[in-house]
Amino acid sequence: MSSRKGQKGAAQVVRQQLARERRRRRTIWVSAAAVVVLVIAGLIGWSVWSSQRSDDFTPPTGSAENGTGVVAGSGPVTVDIYEDFLCPVCKQFDQTSGATIDQLISEGKIRVVYHPVAYLNRFSSTEYSTRSSAASGCAAEGGKFREYAKALFEQQPPEGSAGLTDDQLIDIGAGVGLDRDGFGNCVREGTFKPWTEHVTEEASRNNITGTPTVIIDGEQVSNPSPEAIRAAVAAAGK
Amino acid sequence: MTVTTPRIRAAGWPAVRPWLGVAARLGLAAVWLLAGASKVDDLAASGRAVNAYQLLPYDVSTVVGAALPFVELALGVLLLLGLATRLSAGVSAALLVVFIAGIASAWARGLAIDCGCFGSGGQLAEGQAPSYLPEILRDLGFLVLAAFLLIWPRTPVSVDGWLTGEPVVEDEDE
Repeated sequence: MSSRKGQKGAAQVVRQQLARERRRRRTIWVSAAAVVVLVIAGLIGWSVWSSQRSDDFTPPTGSAENGTGVVAGSGPVTVDIYEDFLCPVCKQFDQTSGATIDQLISEGKIRVVYHPVAYLNRFSSTEYSTRSSAASGCAAEGGKFREYAKALFEQQPPEGSAGLTDDQLIDIGAGVGLDRDGFGNCVREGTFKPWTEHVTEEASRNNITGTPTVIIDGEQVSNPSPEAIRAAVAAAGK
Repeated sequence: MTVTTPRIRAAGWPAVRPWLGVAARLGLAAVWLLAGASKVDDLAASGRAVNAYQLLPYDVSTVVGAALPFVELALGVLLLLGLATRLSAGVSAALLVVFIAGIASAWARGLAIDCGCFGSGGQLAEGQAPSYLPEILRDLGFLVLAAFLLIWPRTPVSVDGWLTGEPVVEDEDE
């Protein structure tokens, strides 16, 4: 009697152990499948990103040799300016210090490289940062980058809006004296969007994490007021 | 006295625990789905947000920035379904620890960046103060959810439960 009871108990223990073993194996398989899912998800992200970026770009005329910005002036001190046409502080910077920079250019003291980066695409519903930067490339092609950039800042749309339409971007171009047909085609076709991407990527690579960023002779000017810019240019020119 | 109190708690806890588990699982799933969705439509910006921590070389940052939103979404779906819950909770906890360490190191180095946890990221505009402490506390809260699921991965209404076909309380009677 007692041994039979013992056998019954033993069989139950074995059955329980088998069931546990089955569960354990199933858990391992499920976990392995989940790891595969996570790895595949990461690979999908990587491949989506790789397919989004294009390697070929044509810089507009008047670009720096590496194609990362538009050059103005030919003075001995190089000033790099990174700006996004949607960035309110960039507009402020342009209005307070733009004239000083233009003056330093005409005095032959500096060579400015404007980098119109597209950092703030998520703050407009139409990728205004990319579109406006690409349009500024079209303006550079027509020899009027600076005039166009100033006009873009004057008519800057607010962050979080749809931004200006392509038609508005073209009207602004015509307003600063660009050829409406040629410039208009260039804006509509997004001719310089790959260039914008290149400008933006190279800026990130150089650890430019925000806009506006002003770098004079390789040194970042943290508060680029007219006085600070003049002082930094004078110091670099020595 | 000393005997009755734990017994009452023991009676309540097994009843409450599975549903706390469901709440933790769905809460954590929502966190990952929101975090992933907010980054997935601008992978370049996601890469820049990673790069802003200045911890990884630029090219590595872009790959991490591109892969991360998709991994977050996948984790969210796994947790939502309750599939491989313990593993998902473990990966969640590991990611959260990395995020907390990243934010803490940005804080310690005096960088002024947004964590980029839910979309926006990168350098802050002038006059904008970083909010590292709330970001870390929030991530610690998520970490508690992940830890709960790591310890008690079996929750009702989960694919795990359906696959093994076992009641939620199983190890208790051994």
